[in-house]
Amino acid sequence: MYLSESARAASASESRFRIDVPIAPARAARVVALDERAVGVARRLAGRPWAHARFYTPGEIREGEGLLHELDGATLPLDEVLTGTDVVVVLATEDGGRAAAAEIGRICRRRGITTAGVILGDGYEADDATAALRPYARVLLLSADEGDAFELLTALRV
Amino acid sequence: MAVLRKDINELLTQTGPGTPMGELFRQYWIPALLAEELPEDDCPPVRVKLLSERMVAFRDSEGRYGLVDEFCAHRGASLWFGRNEGSGLRCPYHGWKYDVTGQCVEVPSEADNSSFCRNVQLTAYPLVKIGDVLWTHMGDAATRPPLPDFEWVHVPAEQTYTSKRWQQCNWLQAFEGGIDSSHVTFLHSGGLKTDPLFKGAKGNEYNLNDTKPFFEVADSEGGLFVGARRNAEEGRYYWRITPWVMPSFTMVPPRGDHPVHGHFWVPIDDENCWTYSFDYHPVRPLTETERQAMIDGHGVHSKNIPGTYRPMANMDNDYLIDREAQKRGETYSGVAGIAMQDASLQESMGPIVDRSKERLVPADSGIIKARQKLRKAVIALRDQGVTPPGVDPEHHRVRSAAVVLPQAESFLDSCRDAVKVNPGVAQTSV
Repeated sequence: MYLSESARAASASESRFRIDVPIAPARAARVVALDERAVGVARRLAGRPWAHARFYTPGEIREGEGLLHELDGATLPLDEVLTGTDVVVVLATEDGGRAAAAEIGRICRRRGITTAGVILGDGYEADDATAALRPYARVLLLSADEGDAFELLTALRV
Repeated sequence: MAVLRKDINELLTQTGPGTPMGELFRQYWIPALLAEELPEDDCPPVRVKLLSERMVAFRDSEGRYGLVDEFCAHRGASLWFGRNEGSGLRCPYHGWKYDVTGQCVEVPSEADNSSFCRNVQLTAYPLVKIGDVLWTHMGDAATRPPLPDFEWVHVPAEQTYTSKRWQQCNWLQAFEGGIDSSHVTFLHSGGLKTDPLFKGAKGNEYNLNDTKPFFEVADSEGGLFVGARRNAEEGRYYWRITPWVMPSFTMVPPRGDHPVHGHFWVPIDDENCWTYSFDYHPVRPLTETERQAMIDGHGVHSKNIPGTYRPMANMDNDYLIDREAQKRGETYSGVAGIAMQDASLQESMGPIVDRSKERLVPADSGIIKARQKLRKAVIALRDQGVTPPGVDPEHHRVRSAAVVLPQAESFLDSCRDAVKVNPGVAQTSV
């Protein structure tokens, strides 16, 4: 029987001929935990194997400059951390980090870095942080599930 | 690390008997067929395949609906050939007869007072008409939930229209299109300007003027709300809010006063699904023009081959792709119609797409979150017997919405009422 191009191409048998090469991680991600509970989440995430993900907490950040702390305490200039980065994922569980969230969002927008926010919690503890991120974050994941941060990073192949 | 491991992909895509996702689907009332397929008492039976189980549906002499194993318990002949008469479906091979519960009520070869037939029972599932749809529950009768309570099947008949089409791919890749708001600006851009069920809304301008939407994804009791945000006038955002109710019900955010539409995807087997597509208006009858447009395959509906539920544009005719129309800008992909624009690409992925090969981006977060939610629900059901979200009819009482809000406002906070069913109150739309 004659099959159209589309019918043949969509068949299970034709799926065998798809080019099959390993997909290299393509993104360099920086994860910034804005508050204490978020740092706990970041520490658990950092314990997983990632190719190009690094984890930080914010130091003093203002007017496009500032510092980030690695989870082990080392301090790096924000500019250096963001060089070569193509996605920043901000973790927040409450409003304490709203100023840093806004500033990181602004800097990332200016530098063409995609920003995502994972807001963890059941209630409204992070409303202000969410509002601060909203103008900048390509996506905000409002979730009660810590696993969403892991799933997002996994899906982004970082 | 693979985006979605092979074993998880299989967990989410396999819905046959005994599979974890199959068990999840069997917790819900799901559309089995359209009521129009069994239009009158004693009408011809209809073959129905759902969740990899082959059945036959019929409407008996008293108007009762039945959904029973397709094959006669005697020699395995298909009851699709059955004679629907005298309050039962009779196998034409040797005359065995079954009622709507699957109970054998007559075995002509046995003695007149034989009790043999009482011991013969076909597997059967309930079949209940609500709105234009016949619904079934294929799970344990002991834990059968209350009937579904989606608004589209409860408004008066003149306010609603439902169609269905056969989609030749796994249910998950079809469903994922329903929560992927970012493709609209590209794939459906032609339809926003010309489709009679879409065009003319103010919201379309926002859609077309801002091709890089921002997303917010939030849990709901029954599934998710996915908010897609685009720039509107100075200091304001245009939000399109898509609800997903587990396992596979989604609604498209409305446009102007056009009817509201949505979908329910139901696995036929692991490589095919039914796409049920509906339009309804909460407070007014559909106009004749609107209803005719739906019948003609506009909006989310498809023009089907007469007498079937197979779209006229399908993979066997390359979806009637028209490269000249594409060049002229009438369609973005060359395929006409919203429904087949989606189906053509979803089917092109193959019967079950290999999700370990994907390269997802932050804008895919709705899909990422939905997979996570499905996986957790499947495992919680399998390991602990936890009833999944979306079973409770309270979870069905959601609406999609489209609004313009000040930039500082959260769509969730501002639209709490807009995303709930409110009988007698129109949808929130732009």
